[in-house]
Amino acid sequence: MLVAGLWLAAFGFSRASAAGPDAAALEFFEKKVRPLLAEYCYECHSADTKTKGELRLDVRDGWAKGGESGPAITPGDLEKSLVIKAVRYTDRDLKMPPKQPLAPEEVAVLEQWVKLGAPDPRTEATLAAAKKQHGMSIEEGRKFWSFRPPQKNAPPAVKDSSWPHGEIDRFVLAKLEEKNLHPVADAERATLLRRAYYDLIGLPPTPEQTDAFLADKRPDAFTRVVDELLASPHFGERWGRHWLDVTRFAESSGGGRTLLFKDAWRFRDYVIESFNRDTPFDQFIAEQIAGDLLPHTSAEQRRRQLTATAFLSLGPTNYEEQDKGALRMDVVDEQLDTLGKAFLGLTIGCARCHDHKFDPLPAKDYYAMAGILRSTRTLFNYTDNVARWIDAPLPMDGEKEVALQAHEAQVAALKAKIDAAKAEAKKMLAGVADETTRPGKRVAVAELPGIVVDDTEAKAVGAWTHSIFSRSFVGEGYLHDANDAKGEKTLTFVPKIAKAGRYEVRLAYVPSTNRTTNAPVTVFHADGEDTVTVDETETPPIGGRFVSLGKFRFEKDGAGFVLVSNTGTKGIVNADAVQFIPEGEVATSDTASKTESKEARAANSKVKSLEAEMKKLAAAAPPRAVAMAVREEDEIGDTKIHIRGSIRNLGEKVPRGFITVASIGKAPAIPEKESGRRELAAWIGSPENPLTARVMANRVWHWLFGVGLVRTTDNFGTTGEAPSHPELLDHLAVRLVEHGWSVKKLVREVVLSRTYQLDSNAERGTQSAETVSRSEFRVPSSIDPENRLLWRQNRRRLDAESIRDTVLSVSGELKLDFGGPNMRGAGAIDANTTAAQNTEYTYVYADTRRSVYTPAFRNKRLELFDAFDFGDINAPMGRRNESTVAPQALFMLNHPFVIEQSGKAAERALGLPGKDDAARVDRAYRLTLGRWPTDAERQVALNFVQSPASEGAADAGRQKMWAQFYQMLFASVDFRFLN
Amino acid sequence: MFTSSAITRRSALKKTACGFGYLALAGLAAQRAAAANPLASRAPHFQPRAKRVIFLFMAGGVSHVDSYDYKPRLYKDDGKMMDFADQRNIAKTGMGSTSRVMKPLWDFKQRGQNGAWVSDLFPHMAQHTDDYCVVRSLTTEGVAHGPATLFLHTGSTNFIRPSMGSWVSYGLGTENENLPSFVSLSPSMGNGGPRNYGTAFLPPVFQGTPVGRAGQPATEATIRNLGNASLSEKEQRKQFELLRAMNDEQLKRTPGDAEFEAVINSYELAWRMQHNAPEVLDFSKESPATLALYGINDKVTDNFGRQCLMARRLCESGVRYVQVSYSDNSNNPAWDQHSNMPKHKEHAAAVDKPIAGLLTDLKQRGLLEDTIVWWGGEFGRTPYAEKNGTGRDHNPVGFSQWIAGGGFKPGFVYGATDEFGHFAVENKVHMHDLHATILHQLGLNHEKLTFRYDGRDFRLTDVHGHVVKDVLA
Repeated sequence: MLVAGLWLAAFGFSRASAAGPDAAALEFFEKKVRPLLAEYCYECHSADTKTKGELRLDVRDGWAKGGESGPAITPGDLEKSLVIKAVRYTDRDLKMPPKQPLAPEEVAVLEQWVKLGAPDPRTEATLAAAKKQHGMSIEEGRKFWSFRPPQKNAPPAVKDSSWPHGEIDRFVLAKLEEKNLHPVADAERATLLRRAYYDLIGLPPTPEQTDAFLADKRPDAFTRVVDELLASPHFGERWGRHWLDVTRFAESSGGGRTLLFKDAWRFRDYVIESFNRDTPFDQFIAEQIAGDLLPHTSAEQRRRQLTATAFLSLGPTNYEEQDKGALRMDVVDEQLDTLGKAFLGLTIGCARCHDHKFDPLPAKDYYAMAGILRSTRTLFNYTDNVARWIDAPLPMDGEKEVALQAHEAQVAALKAKIDAAKAEAKKMLAGVADETTRPGKRVAVAELPGIVVDDTEAKAVGAWTHSIFSRSFVGEGYLHDANDAKGEKTLTFVPKIAKAGRYEVRLAYVPSTNRTTNAPVTVFHADGEDTVTVDETETPPIGGRFVSLGKFRFEKDGAGFVLVSNTGTKGIVNADAVQFIPEGEVATSDTASKTESKEARAANSKVKSLEAEMKKLAAAAPPRAVAMAVREEDEIGDTKIHIRGSIRNLGEKVPRGFITVASIGKAPAIPEKESGRRELAAWIGSPENPLTARVMANRVWHWLFGVGLVRTTDNFGTTGEAPSHPELLDHLAVRLVEHGWSVKKLVREVVLSRTYQLDSNAERGTQSAETVSRSEFRVPSSIDPENRLLWRQNRRRLDAESIRDTVLSVSGELKLDFGGPNMRGAGAIDANTTAAQNTEYTYVYADTRRSVYTPAFRNKRLELFDAFDFGDINAPMGRRNESTVAPQALFMLNHPFVIEQSGKAAERALGLPGKDDAARVDRAYRLTLGRWPTDAERQVALNFVQSPASEGAADAGRQKMWAQFYQMLFASVDFRFLN
Repeated sequence: MFTSSAITRRSALKKTACGFGYLALAGLAAQRAAAANPLASRAPHFQPRAKRVIFLFMAGGVSHVDSYDYKPRLYKDDGKMMDFADQRNIAKTGMGSTSRVMKPLWDFKQRGQNGAWVSDLFPHMAQHTDDYCVVRSLTTEGVAHGPATLFLHTGSTNFIRPSMGSWVSYGLGTENENLPSFVSLSPSMGNGGPRNYGTAFLPPVFQGTPVGRAGQPATEATIRNLGNASLSEKEQRKQFELLRAMNDEQLKRTPGDAEFEAVINSYELAWRMQHNAPEVLDFSKESPATLALYGINDKVTDNFGRQCLMARRLCESGVRYVQVSYSDNSNNPAWDQHSNMPKHKEHAAAVDKPIAGLLTDLKQRGLLEDTIVWWGGEFGRTPYAEKNGTGRDHNPVGFSQWIAGGGFKPGFVYGATDEFGHFAVENKVHMHDLHATILHQLGLNHEKLTFRYDGRDFRLTDVHGHVVKDVLA
């Protein structure tokens, strides 16, 4: 009361006048009442929600009309106002908010408000207006720099016309000159070479390559090197890796239950090859979004295009999500988020729940695009307990495809034969069942193969009757439900699974005519549960004793079990035992085999010989390769707005389409019967799209300078940063499009600019002879310490992959094989199994191929990647973090990888003939740091390697000292940075 | 602390100024180092009641109706078929199920001064009811282990978000520069795996440091890369000296460079960690009585006892957030008793005494005052039998956890579920609320502990969460 009173005093409040609430009353409402209603009531009582009790409290008419219980507020009358009654928490049946009462002073505010006649300006119209104003309007948005088309600007004039190499440099220099600044000197040639090598192929130059470059006095020596590097297949490994960051590439799903993406490597190779062949970027976009829908003239092209769509499937999908409707939408949301950041530099994910708070992105635009992806099938189905992605078969070329199809036909034919033979054999076995189940035939548990849980070990719920009446059973008898208390009795058979794997699960029961025809038997296995209905009037097909419930996966000591229920049954339900036979032992383990007839034996051996034939046939040709891919959804259509992102709260339907504010020309029309992915790709890859070329040009700059012209590489929206050089960014974007979206040409142009080739060191550069002669210029480091104006190149951290690849190249262990799978143990296994999970969980990273091929698991990362800021691969990432922390130092000092590779490097160094220690030190510096040691450095090193080792024999001791020296070179400060 | 005989105090001082932390960090040098170290201790938003957290994670979901949530109705209606809004069925089909009510498998008694009902499942923990606050009205999100485990740790079932320990590290830093601020003992690789101690978009420095892993005996759990087994201590010193000399020369080429200094600082810190951290995990100075208190050397309790003692030692040494996981790498983690409720007893036997020991030990050392000990699983279990069998399915709509120390009301029981123990109905506490409340006790306002990423501010509690003042002393 006190609080409200003070407020009123502060507003000089009088009683509400008949003419309507005065300004002070409204201010009281706005400042005190509206926040309370919004905080505690809107969640259930507003237009955006289900409106509990039909009562809305977000407009005046809402409470005036009231809900199911009548008007909620009677202005001026506290006792008649249900809202007041509710918040007072005194009525047993009416307490609001339901979770916990308001604070007394909050109740007082509402009481005061009602007493004063409940002044309330909120109408449907103000509500709608407030909604429209959410975020930036489209009209305003069109004026924002990134939503305007890139302009082709003439490079500006500069004072120092001798400095620029090309147009890029003129944009940069003009801006510097505006501030009366000048760039520093060019980098030393060896430094420049090292920079170009790492930037273009991710590997250091060898000392020989450096010598050759330093000796090459031709004016275009650097251009020649750049062209060589651009043509090198390692270019794709380096630049493909950048793109893999943007696509959140991974080889397992991570998330709740991680599944192995065993074929994701094909996408990785596709990306690497695309950069190597310089696939035009617009085509690259189209292949990743709609590759499955693009025309093709060869099997190779079809394979490539199908493989590219893994872009849409590689997310950290929570396949275990139980609500498959929600899962389906989660996938769409993740795809939009990735696609938005990767191609458009927009955080469109924000518009999932509401209009974007800052950018001109209404929820309507989000759901226009969501409709396209909801019309696309990414999950195999929407029913599996643990969902999975789609594996698309890949076509082969010409004769190979013919041969493969012939092979597949053979396999299919043979499989049909096997099925027929099995059915025949089954009939035979059924025929002998009477004989094997003759009265008195008992089998001890120990005589049966596999894991047998007898009915005596089953946990019984309800009264089950023990019986030995039929005299044919496993163990000591069997249990039946006495045909009563239907729906209340169950038997649980829990096996002790000592070895994880797939098991055939069989139920033994005693058949008779008075049995039920539909006993529900549920198998709870590692991938969920399956219910099999067993007709117990039928003779069990296997040896007259067992019926197979199917093959399922069980974990070691896991939570698997079989549950027999009598729900919904008519007739006696009985159960004798449950048998779990490891897959592979099944064929030879049938209990009937001992007693089967001659005919049955013949039929069985026919099955076996056919299966052997199948094995041979399968070995003769590898199965058809598959790729993670998407396809068109069975039902194509527009999607409704999901209010607050919920699949259970749907608003209006939105026609499929694109982001309005970024649509400058005429957007392509989406055919009614197609998802619209082709059109989406065309819209993104259109020269008219104001974002795409800019975002990619900026990425190129970022990857060559460590910092983009727009530093927020994945956010070109209003919350991102503005470009430091807007004209230059536009110039690069226009160039990218003009050169047929060639990424290589753009990279080349940037690398050959003088700006790229500048020294990275502020002090050293400005003190060079050239800059001293320009003494009229101010020292830029004090004016622009962050180097936003690009007066020097940025010194950058060597990224995780470069650190690993360099260590391996120095030790001589680096294997430069291109492409292909690189995951031990994967390939043949079902990706959705424990075995596949264990491939990840127990993975030992032992290979020495380039880091781009290191298995990119989401739940088990290579430790070096974790330590050196490779970053989280669950989300697209155009810009990696750069940290300097102690665990990195510990890694360099103590990790077995560094120690081992240093040892190899030492062996290699000592193995070189005709070198003395000083020459060895020189070579070590050149290999690891790309430069010669100073005299002092050489002496420090010699002192160390020539000092006696504390332990071990002389030779071994010497090798040990050299190993430690190499290790410290890897650990040293200079190794971490690219100058 | 290591000082080289070859280096005079003067040159050492000079080097300190360059960023070499040869001398004990004190005064200005310490401040500089603090400014450079993103993990340096930071002031909270307001006066905290607690300085650190130990989270005892019971993976798989402990049955609340068999442990902390006493429901007489379950005895009365045991065996009856009744309609329940089963969450898994609803997620899959939109429909509930008719299920058989199953009474608790362990007897409930009133315990302690407060007379709280606790079952015989946890006889040791039951003796501490006056120490902790039981929240019986928790609700969370996610019906399956993966989503619910991620929600418990990161506040989101499917979005990529930082874990709670990372948020706390980000908010408060560490009290001991030689140790990580967030340690996860024996974490599982499954059900979200590293995401449960990951930073997502927060700087990687706030990442949880895994010590040991699920399935590996706690006796083998170590902080990674703390030593080089192939070199003697003397050799390592000599090698480290070489590194210093090499870096020294390299620094001459670009003197005064902050980035270079940061790298050099990181080596000095690493060197100190290498010499101090192993001691933290070394039990040789613990008394036999203490070891016995935790059940160490008793086969049943040894493993979890060791983890609990490590947690105490880490906390004592200044680690902010320690998670102890009773878990494994399977998709159906330890407590996941779908078919075999009695198996709960096996797990209880493994954790009960160590946890009670931890509470006793923290209390006698005066650490419980400002340490939050938080116990629970990702959800509870249904009061009815799953598929009318002999186990219970997951229940995210009502379950119990307890929190001791750190200003939570001791001996307090808060909230209630319906008469079956199925839905939380009274004083409901959503997991977001509990997250907000724990942050609050650490002096952090959950609405202000934000990180800007992708152009907007993120927080642990998204746009939700209320501090539950009722459970605070």
